[in-house]
Amino acid sequence: MKKSKGKDVFIVILASLVALLFLLPLIFMIFTSFKGLGEAMSSSALLPKEWIIDNYRSILGASAEVPVLLWLFNTGVVTLAGTALVVFVDVLAAYSLARLNLPGKKYFLGIVVAALTIPGIVTLFPAFYLFREFNLINTYVPLIVIYSANTLGVFLIYSFLKGFPKDLEEAAVIDGASLWQVLRFVIFPAIKPVVATLAVLTFLTIYNDFLWPSVVTSTDEMKTVTLGVANLVQGANFVNPGRMMAATVVATIPALIIFVAANKYFVKSVMSSGLK
Amino acid sequence: MRISKTWSVLMYLPFLLCFILFLVVPFFYGIYISLHQWSVFGGNGGFVGLDNYTAILTPGNIYSNAFYNGLKNTLVFVAISVVPLVIISLALALLVDSIPSNLKVFFRTVFFISYAVSVTAVSAIFKWLFTGNGGYVNNVFDTFGLNTINWLNDQPSAWIAILIATVWWTIGFNMILFINALDDVDQNLYEAASLDGANSWNKFMHITFPSIKGVFVFLTIITVIASFNLYGQTLLMTAGGPSQSTQTLIMVIQQMVFNQNNLGVASAMAMVMGFVMVIIVAVQYAYSFRKE
Repeated sequence: MKKSKGKDVFIVILASLVALLFLLPLIFMIFTSFKGLGEAMSSSALLPKEWIIDNYRSILGASAEVPVLLWLFNTGVVTLAGTALVVFVDVLAAYSLARLNLPGKKYFLGIVVAALTIPGIVTLFPAFYLFREFNLINTYVPLIVIYSANTLGVFLIYSFLKGFPKDLEEAAVIDGASLWQVLRFVIFPAIKPVVATLAVLTFLTIYNDFLWPSVVTSTDEMKTVTLGVANLVQGANFVNPGRMMAATVVATIPALIIFVAANKYFVKSVMSSGLK
Repeated sequence: MRISKTWSVLMYLPFLLCFILFLVVPFFYGIYISLHQWSVFGGNGGFVGLDNYTAILTPGNIYSNAFYNGLKNTLVFVAISVVPLVIISLALALLVDSIPSNLKVFFRTVFFISYAVSVTAVSAIFKWLFTGNGGYVNNVFDTFGLNTINWLNDQPSAWIAILIATVWWTIGFNMILFINALDDVDQNLYEAASLDGANSWNKFMHITFPSIKGVFVFLTIITVIASFNLYGQTLLMTAGGPSQSTQTLIMVIQQMVFNQNNLGVASAMAMVMGFVMVIIVAVQYAYSFRKE
């Protein structure tokens, strides 16, 4: 289809305006984190008149009032372990379903659909109660393992493998490769983009989850950074916009970096393969 | 390729174990709890049959009052949010689709970036934008001599603020799926339509929309589910106010567990909520794919 130059310019200008509107909350967050209390409460200008770093000092320094760095560390442990667990479990299960001789595998799709229709709220509090019975509240365990019951990941990789020709694997087996070698040198390189997509989506899900950590964590030391920020927003803590935005910046930047770095993986075929 | 049954089962086992432990067991345990008087600290207080369900569904007691209020507020949000969340993301996808290709990735990334922000950060930002006293929006209104609005403590402004925060936070994901669907539309159809003198609107209605209808229905359904699960934004931005008008079902259930220590009633509420969601999704599905 031919397009005129003028139309392109119009589209780009329109898109730029929308993009500015989109970035406004993030720009507000960053600039406010450099404002003092008085200015942040009264100014209608986005840019600080006077740039100060006291807000960051008060949350990151040695005498920090809120342990944001500790929360970030917790988030790091939980997201890395949780993502690794999901990828490990889902890749093996998907391969087993797509290629191997698994008894009862024809029921699997039905189970996936059934499980997807169960709203999360139905299992959330019983799961909380069970973890509590095993004295696992305020440990990393419930924060890590709960995400591994996600059937969508298995389904995503399974549908990708279904469309991937078997010839290479068969050739490798004829050449004497073991199951492990087939997985390591044939399958894994082929499914890398899907696995990367699953890993990033899982990482962001765990990083940003709020309800589950708020249910299984009660002490300040065990909070994830997402949960920690929630505490700053609620009740009597809601006093200093600059300081709260500084904490929000620190909490958000790692996820934003991961997101932008992994953005190229959110490519067409990968994201839509799970839908078909 | 011949690989033994043992290996197949062994590879499948870790997932099966997780699936059973963290989904199947809690699901059936939740049904079991909902049929008992059950407190978080005291545990099982005896079988009560359907009493918990009767309590939350029969009007006129504290449980049903809380439940119906939560259900009503949640349905209000579903009603006001689903159309903008789907339509705006479709509009954005169409916009990105028409951007010259060398700039496409940039704008797609910008429109999708809020997906990486947590609900607590979103709430922190929008609460400081909309808070009545010292909030940025009111500071701007003040500068232009407009009357300030007590956004989070009045209705309908509280819903408007929550809706704006939610739209900003979640449309990127919907947009990405729409962009993927638009990429799959057969370009030859547009060429043929142009030759027949069709305008943009005709092309959208007769080519684009029918081609992406499957994704459209899917996104509508997952948006309904997401709106049903409204929790973080209302908890953090309005704390359920003003006068409990933004108290959502999940907030009600959460308080039943942690403030009232009543896991039995909370589990029954979760079951009913899950049931309502499944019914709505099933109706949507059946309606969208009915034979015309």
